Amino acid sequence: MRVGLVCPYNWDVPGGVQYHVRDLAETLRGMGHEVDVLTPAEQEESLPPGATWAGRAIPIPYNGSMASWQFGVLSAARTRRWLREGHFDVVHVHEPAPPSVALLVCMIADGPIVATFHAASVRSKVLAAWGPVVRPWLERIAGRIAVSDFARRLQVEHVGGDAVVIPNGVQVAAFAEGPRLPAAEHDGPTVGFLGRYDEPRKGLPVLLEAMRSVVRELPGARLLVAGRGDPDELRALVGPDLEPAVVLLGELDEADKAAFLRTVDVYCAPNLMGESFGVVLVEAMAAGAPVVAADLDAFARVLADGDAGVLVRRGDATALARVLVDLLGDPDRRAQLTAAGHDRAQDFDWGTLAARIVDVYETVAPPGGGEVTAHGADEDPLPAEPTAPTRMDGFLPRWLRRS
Amino acid sequence: MLLALAVLVVLLLAWAAFTLTRLRRLAGRVDRAWVTLEGTLARRAELADAVAREHADELGPLRADALRSAAAAARRPSGGDREVAENALGRLVRELPEPLRAPELDDAGWRVGLARRFYNDAVRDTRALRRRPGPRTLRLHARRPMPRFFDIDDGLDAVVGTGPAGRG
Repeated sequence: MRVGLVCPYNWDVPGGVQYHVRDLAETLRGMGHEVDVLTPAEQEESLPPGATWAGRAIPIPYNGSMASWQFGVLSAARTRRWLREGHFDVVHVHEPAPPSVALLVCMIADGPIVATFHAASVRSKVLAAWGPVVRPWLERIAGRIAVSDFARRLQVEHVGGDAVVIPNGVQVAAFAEGPRLPAAEHDGPTVGFLGRYDEPRKGLPVLLEAMRSVVRELPGARLLVAGRGDPDELRALVGPDLEPAVVLLGELDEADKAAFLRTVDVYCAPNLMGESFGVVLVEAMAAGAPVVAADLDAFARVLADGDAGVLVRRGDATALARVLVDLLGDPDRRAQLTAAGHDRAQDFDWGTLAARIVDVYETVAPPGGGEVTAHGADEDPLPAEPTAPTRMDGFLPRWLRRS
Repeated sequence: MLLALAVLVVLLLAWAAFTLTRLRRLAGRVDRAWVTLEGTLARRAELADAVAREHADELGPLRADALRSAAAAARRPSGGDREVAENALGRLVRELPEPLRAPELDDAGWRVGLARRFYNDAVRDTRALRRRPGPRTLRLHARRPMPRFFDIDDGLDAVVGTGPAGRG
């Protein structure tokens, strides 16, 4: 099949949705499908072959995380050109509700559209208010996928419509095999934390609090923090008493992230809220790291209700410390968790999940159903950088058409 | 005053045109989803019938008969209660012993689940729009029959999280 994937976030900024789209594209190509990705990026040059630049998305902070905004005439023109030149059998947009290139595709494309909903936030007032506004265009989606039960519920409640749940995938083999990370090697027991550590919802303060007790019991223990953020802010948070036990590794690339997960004795995800799915948990299991995670619904599901990892009440530093001390001192239990985690990770391997997504494509786009086209296809082909406003849909409110 | 009235009428017409476009698209979506759903149901019935005929001995006469007649009932065009017939077939298929439940049959069941969910989704969107006060007042698409949900137990809800059992 010819598949057009649409990523709404800047490609060159690390993020779960971007990785999802990249891995799905790679897996689909490996299965023999033709794939082109439409995505914004800060630098056009950063895009790999097989990806089309859609301009820049403006990041806006939302709910302790980053959303993005991209809704201009120029973006619409690029989107239309991509749709027209792609001759896709199916277009697969990601996170189409916010004003982004994914929503533009829903507005402009005519033909089978599949959408994946990633969002999960407990405070969904914004979505509740915004849902009805974009409903006329989300109505055109023929097949909806949610990456978790939680994302599906959000979808049912606010956007109105059901979705089939197909979780996020992980390239299990890429995480299972490979070198260890020298910077994370340490004589004593190590706990790994991964993520944007300046986001409160990632829960690093809880883990730091727990580490104070862990270090009292196991003086050689180290917390290895990898991810983006302000190092000075982190140092202030850690405080002088804990400073020797915390190692800041900074931002890791994908290869180093896998190496990091292979090296740590325990991987900890102390998140407090708003985690859509928890890919990183699957990655840790694939890499063989025993997982200790907060008992968020999504995490509990990924960890098979505690069979494949240890669940701790969210925000409970005392309980977390106890679990970490027990686990760091018990190699047998760690080996057992590693084995269980490895089996569980297979359920989320991209090979398995991409085949299901192709089933969705085939359901909405049966053979001979015709390719996806763009509205206004009779217009003149657009110049490379059009300056005059182009007619978008005829019915799009004027204020929305302005960038 | 007259101008305001004219503006109002134009706005109303634009809104009606927009809503009619939406309804037309939704009707198309419902039709396409129904065709796909019927296709997946037919395929499942066909596969079940093949199993009943080829493995009659392993199944025993009682079960083989039940399966064959369920497949036939499900394949009968529209007359009778389609949902009941499909439910009966789906249950028999799920109860088939492991060696007889060919991967194709599991795959067919999963595709029925997908097609049904997408069809019902299209129906839900259509009903939601047609029930809104605007389209009802203007009687947009009011003469068309309201599309019906297709309610069968496809076992898809029970296995959310990692997809259907027996695959991958």
